[in-house]
Amino acid sequence: MVNWNELWLFALPALLCWMAGALLSLRGRWQKMACLMTICGLLIFGGYIALMWHSLERPPMRTMGETRLWYSFFLPLVGLITFIRWRYRWILSFSTLLSAVFICVNLLKPEIHSKEMMPALQSPWFAPHVIIYMFAYATTGVATLLALWQLCRKQDQLAAIDNLIRVGISFLTVGMLFGALWAKEAWGTYWSWDPKETWAAATWLCYLVYVHLRKSRPAMVRPALLWLVLCFLCLQMCWWGINYLPSAQGVSVHTYGG
Amino acid sequence: MTEGSIVCCGLVAVGLLLQQLIGPIRWDMMAWPMNVLVLVVLLFGILMMHLCRREVRLFRWMGTLQAGIPAMVTCAMLTILMGVTKQVPSGHQPTEPFGITSMLSFWPFVLSYLWLIILVGMVCLTRLRLPLWHNIPFLLNHLGLFIALVTGTLGNADIQDLRMAVQEGKTEWRAIDARHKVYESPITIELHDFSIKFHDSSTEPQSFTSDVTVYTKSGLKVRDTIRVNQPLAVSGWKIYQYNYETREDMGDISVFELVRDPWLPYVYLGIFMMLAGAISMFVRTPSNKSNR
Repeated sequence: MVNWNELWLFALPALLCWMAGALLSLRGRWQKMACLMTICGLLIFGGYIALMWHSLERPPMRTMGETRLWYSFFLPLVGLITFIRWRYRWILSFSTLLSAVFICVNLLKPEIHSKEMMPALQSPWFAPHVIIYMFAYATTGVATLLALWQLCRKQDQLAAIDNLIRVGISFLTVGMLFGALWAKEAWGTYWSWDPKETWAAATWLCYLVYVHLRKSRPAMVRPALLWLVLCFLCLQMCWWGINYLPSAQGVSVHTYGG
Repeated sequence: MTEGSIVCCGLVAVGLLLQQLIGPIRWDMMAWPMNVLVLVVLLFGILMMHLCRREVRLFRWMGTLQAGIPAMVTCAMLTILMGVTKQVPSGHQPTEPFGITSMLSFWPFVLSYLWLIILVGMVCLTRLRLPLWHNIPFLLNHLGLFIALVTGTLGNADIQDLRMAVQEGKTEWRAIDARHKVYESPITIELHDFSIKFHDSSTEPQSFTSDVTVYTKSGLKVRDTIRVNQPLAVSGWKIYQYNYETREDMGDISVFELVRDPWLPYVYLGIFMMLAGAISMFVRTPSNKSNR
């Protein structure tokens, strides 16, 4: 039986693997080895999630702490895919650092919950809906960091940012529409403007503005990057901000049990 | 993009004026046949504007990003405004003079989205005239959004949403709507058995199940179980497990929600087009290994 107490046993080796991968990829000569180390870390951390899934007898996706696990898992995965496809040397360091932050949050402030899951969440749509969203959050998160990097250091990362945002939007779209199809099965309406849905729509529209802005005015780089930061703030509101937002109290079906 | 911003500001101003003059939008007036009429006018209008685009500069401009981006920003901002204000339940009057607590009936919100969707429709028509193959992802995304948003919005007033509370062992034919008006239900439900399974050491239910026989007016008879996330589909209606009550004097009562949404296939068409569009967008993201 695995629980939160064993997180560090898996997280520490996984982080060490990812750090080794990040360092190797920075040097630029041991790229295959870097990929291999990152995959090793992913297997270890993925193993922990799988064991948690098994011992909870439900997908670990209900509480903020559990979604953070997925975030820590998907960041290095997105980093690895980006590294393999676009060969950015720094990307693995980035994703490892971010993932470490989320692991630390989970280690220092675990939100432990009982294993009950309300009937509405017992659906085959549940896992894909949350996993796809977590993947989208990870992708847009990396893109936002790159945007901040470019805004401060004036290094051109635009091609990478644009690609990551395209991937992020496609996953945001699929996650949102899966949510709609699920809601129809569970509650009889595909869209009910629940606070989480409202913020998801706003976030989605904001990211669409970025894509269209880049197409329409490729030379307007700074405003576009600043807009991207605003998009990410919106996304944070959608992900966890609404739990603290007075306007969303007591009405959302998405409120996490913690 | 200045023109686009001016148009959006104008729309919001007109919307605010309309809000003060006639009050919040009454979506219930959109019910059949009004929604079909509006749909025909909308599609005809978009087609006419498309056909006159060579003669009228405005219509040509409406198919451009310069028009589209300010429209998207306006819609995003009003949606964020909706996100930070506590909304009243649908059908209720807003609790403040501006009307933003009932955003879906707020004229500036609706006009902005209408403007955006008209622009999307115009750009779809422009793209439809180009060679199809290279435009498939574009059309899936844009036309899918157009279909889903237009049919979802117009069809909303045609959705029938009834509640039926059935006692265990009894047969029920009365239903109430959201305003607690009682109807003779098109579907009769006989509840044979209602059972709740609780989690170990907890009062939180793990699942509730209703064993029912459903009779329709056309003489159909279906015996099945209904659970949360497992609705029963009978002759155009979907029956959802909605709630339950346990009473000392009457025994278990299972509450069902009956939903009929005649526009749903069109909304789903739009949704599946958007899904395909999103996947093709992901697949077609360029990989440029030359970069660094």
